[in-house]
Amino acid sequence: MATGASATEEPEDEEEEEEDYSFLPLVHHIIKSMDKDSQDVHQELNELKNKFQEMRRLIGTMPGIDRSPEQQQQQLQSLREQVRTKNQLLQKYKNLCMLEIPKE
Amino acid sequence: MAASDKCSTKEKLLAFLDDLEVLTRELIEMLALSRNQKLPQPGEENQVLELLIQQDGEFQELMKLAFDQGKVHHEMQLLEKEVEKRDSDIQQLQKQLKEAEHILATAVYQAKEKLKSIEKARKGAISSEEIIKYAHRISASNAVCAPLTWVPGDPRRPYPTDLEMRSGLLGQMSNLPSNGVNGHLPGDALAAGRLPDVLTPQYPWQSSDVSVNMLPPNHSNDFMLEPPGHNKENEDDVEVMSTDSSSSSSDSD
Repeated sequence: MATGASATEEPEDEEEEEEDYSFLPLVHHIIKSMDKDSQDVHQELNELKNKFQEMRRLIGTMPGIDRSPEQQQQQLQSLREQVRTKNQLLQKYKNLCMLEIPKE
Repeated sequence: MAASDKCSTKEKLLAFLDDLEVLTRELIEMLALSRNQKLPQPGEENQVLELLIQQDGEFQELMKLAFDQGKVHHEMQLLEKEVEKRDSDIQQLQKQLKEAEHILATAVYQAKEKLKSIEKARKGAISSEEIIKYAHRISASNAVCAPLTWVPGDPRRPYPTDLEMRSGLLGQMSNLPSNGVNGHLPGDALAAGRLPDVLTPQYPWQSSDVSVNMLPPNHSNDFMLEPPGHNKENEDDVEVMSTDSSSSSSDSD
């Protein structure tokens, strides 16, 4: 379903996603600040807390994750099957010879 | 494993998030404690850190899966729209087929009725000669159609005049009063078909013969419109009417 243009943008997005959604960089900064006894540790702890909240909000708004991948695949197959069946039915209706005039 | 498969991705993500939060808090607390007490406990910290890294990695994988599911969700939405469109197409087609069925059923019914009437007509066939004779009889008096040269303002027929109505069978039966209102003619004379010469309408386009033919003494019988029979009397009538018709048509020329 993805177009060529979006396919070229995908790897970049994924990289960005990986950076954005990992908590390790923040934890690393906190540990470093603690090692240095820096005052920035409180600010970084707040950042970590905000990040957890932000992630919870994001997960709440993400589409299509209300079911497991298996269930989603089943529903996708079911929808594809429905479209296929309905297409066949329409084709059948269109090809019906409604008026067969008997030749004498 | 089966139970985890049934969980939605959202639930898994939130669970991972809770775990990560607990692990980071635990790690930071442990580090803080170890810094304050100056007691190095690298083994436990490392365990927590490794667990945190592992959970974080799994969380990343799950986030990728969630984004993939978002794409699948988009595809499903498109498919749902397509299904709705197909449904409306099918409903439209079914509606049209129902209409066509109704029209065809009506046409078939009408055709059957027509065939029945054709069959009925075949069984009770009447000779064309008989019909022509009857047509002559009813048309000779101009009782059913106007003279060919009739135009608006012409005092002749197309409709039966007061005079003719009174001289017909209905006029006789109704026993109209002898003193006509608004200058109507005396009923007796009209009923008998005998008019005084003064009251007989004389039109410039009529010869005296024609006017007599229009109101013959037995004129009242012309309005009876009996079905055609085979008796001699009727045939005579037809001949008289034919003569009348031909005379009037010759007049119109």
